[in-house]
Amino acid sequence: METPFASAPAFALGPLVVSWTVVTTWGVMAALTLAAWLVTRRMDSAAPGRAQAVLELLVGTLESEIRATIPGDPARFRALIGTLLVFVLAANWSSLVPGVEPPTAHLETDAALAALVFAAGIYWGIRSQGLGGWLASFARPSWVMIPLNLVEQVTRHFSLMVRLFGNVLSGVFVIGIVLSLAGLLVPIPLMALDLLTGAVQAYIFATLALVFIGSAVTGESGEPPDNPDSSSDTRESA
Amino acid sequence: MSFDWATFALQLVNVLILLALLRHFLFRPVAAIIARRQAESAAAVEAATRARAEAEAAQAAARAEAEASATARQALLDKAQAEAAKARVDLLEQARAEAAQIIAEGRTALASEAAASARAQTRAACDLALAIVTRALSAQPDGLDGYAARLAQAITAMDPVERAALLAAPNLRIVLPHEPSDAERGTVSAALAPLGIDAPLVADPSLVAGIELQSDSGAVLNSLRHDIQTIAEALDDGRQTR
Repeated sequence: METPFASAPAFALGPLVVSWTVVTTWGVMAALTLAAWLVTRRMDSAAPGRAQAVLELLVGTLESEIRATIPGDPARFRALIGTLLVFVLAANWSSLVPGVEPPTAHLETDAALAALVFAAGIYWGIRSQGLGGWLASFARPSWVMIPLNLVEQVTRHFSLMVRLFGNVLSGVFVIGIVLSLAGLLVPIPLMALDLLTGAVQAYIFATLALVFIGSAVTGESGEPPDNPDSSSDTRESA
Repeated sequence: MSFDWATFALQLVNVLILLALLRHFLFRPVAAIIARRQAESAAAVEAATRARAEAEAAQAAARAEAEASATARQALLDKAQAEAAKARVDLLEQARAEAAQIIAEGRTALASEAAASARAQTRAACDLALAIVTRALSAQPDGLDGYAARLAQAITAMDPVERAALLAAPNLRIVLPHEPSDAERGTVSAALAPLGIDAPLVADPSLVAGIELQSDSGAVLNSLRHDIQTIAEALDDGRQTR
């Protein structure tokens, strides 16, 4: 029996079967990279164009959010959080292209994104606190909390994955059902709603990823710090 | 529900690749351009601050220069006023000296002119006196005889009434410039006796020369003094008339 959750295979490279989800992701990646290259190849610091202004607003806002959540130089997390935001948003909105299923409507994509956030949290936690400090953070506020903290590390990233998957897939299902029942133009309001849902989910995913990584960096429970400034300033070389 | 691990792995790789691509083509350039604009803005602010500081310094320098100029101007004004006052005093003193010199020269010229005028007047007086005396002497008769004859002629030429009144008036006398000698008495009597005149002879040196017949009612003037007076009056009248 064919399940709607399964990814349809596009082609096979030997034993490796490449699904349409991967192909769609490649398309999204190509579109994002091409758009970024087109906009950033002729940037002017004195008289920025509209697209450049939008990108500068995006990057500036992103750095502000990062600075408000994680102490220190926001450039360390700018590419990761920004890529998550832009990719999830583009993937969600790819459903507007006829015949294209958004990659985030498939569990493998969301799982890959959540795994990346999980790995980033471990990496930055160990890098900022040291291995001992990062392991000791599981014993806060008491060693009794170690099992719960370990479970929390898995479940919150699992919930991150499932939240994105469920919201996007539900939108695809609703639009598909309405389209099959009512006709061609009826799903348009639902598609507009799906645009809003996709943007909100992209923002939520990026924000939660930032909070999870920030909690790993600071060794706290994930609450934003009061003082966003820090003495460390390891600015990423441009 | 199935989970395709191959798709999961490919998507994980895809996201990592996209992360690298966007980092290279999107976030780094945009962050760089933002940093460059911030640097340019900071440089512009710094340049504006520096320019403002330079402008304030220039303004302060201009103010100081203006104050120095005002001070120098006041000093020049004071110096000019002092020089003007000194020049005024010098000019006044010079004017006074020149005026005094002019007055002195005027007085000298006036004195010189007065002396010259006095000399000219003296010369004119001398000339006049010489003319009067020359004319008077040229009109005088020769000797006492001549004066007696001219007196008799004048008495004869008088109006008879006036002559009678003269001769009848008291204190009739014949006046000579000196005390007459007997010869002179005889000459006078010989000249006047035909006219019926017999009067005492009296000496009056002021006559200078001549013989006059005088009484309380009048006189017949026939002397050098009278002629001189007559000539002088005539000359004086002629000079006034001119």
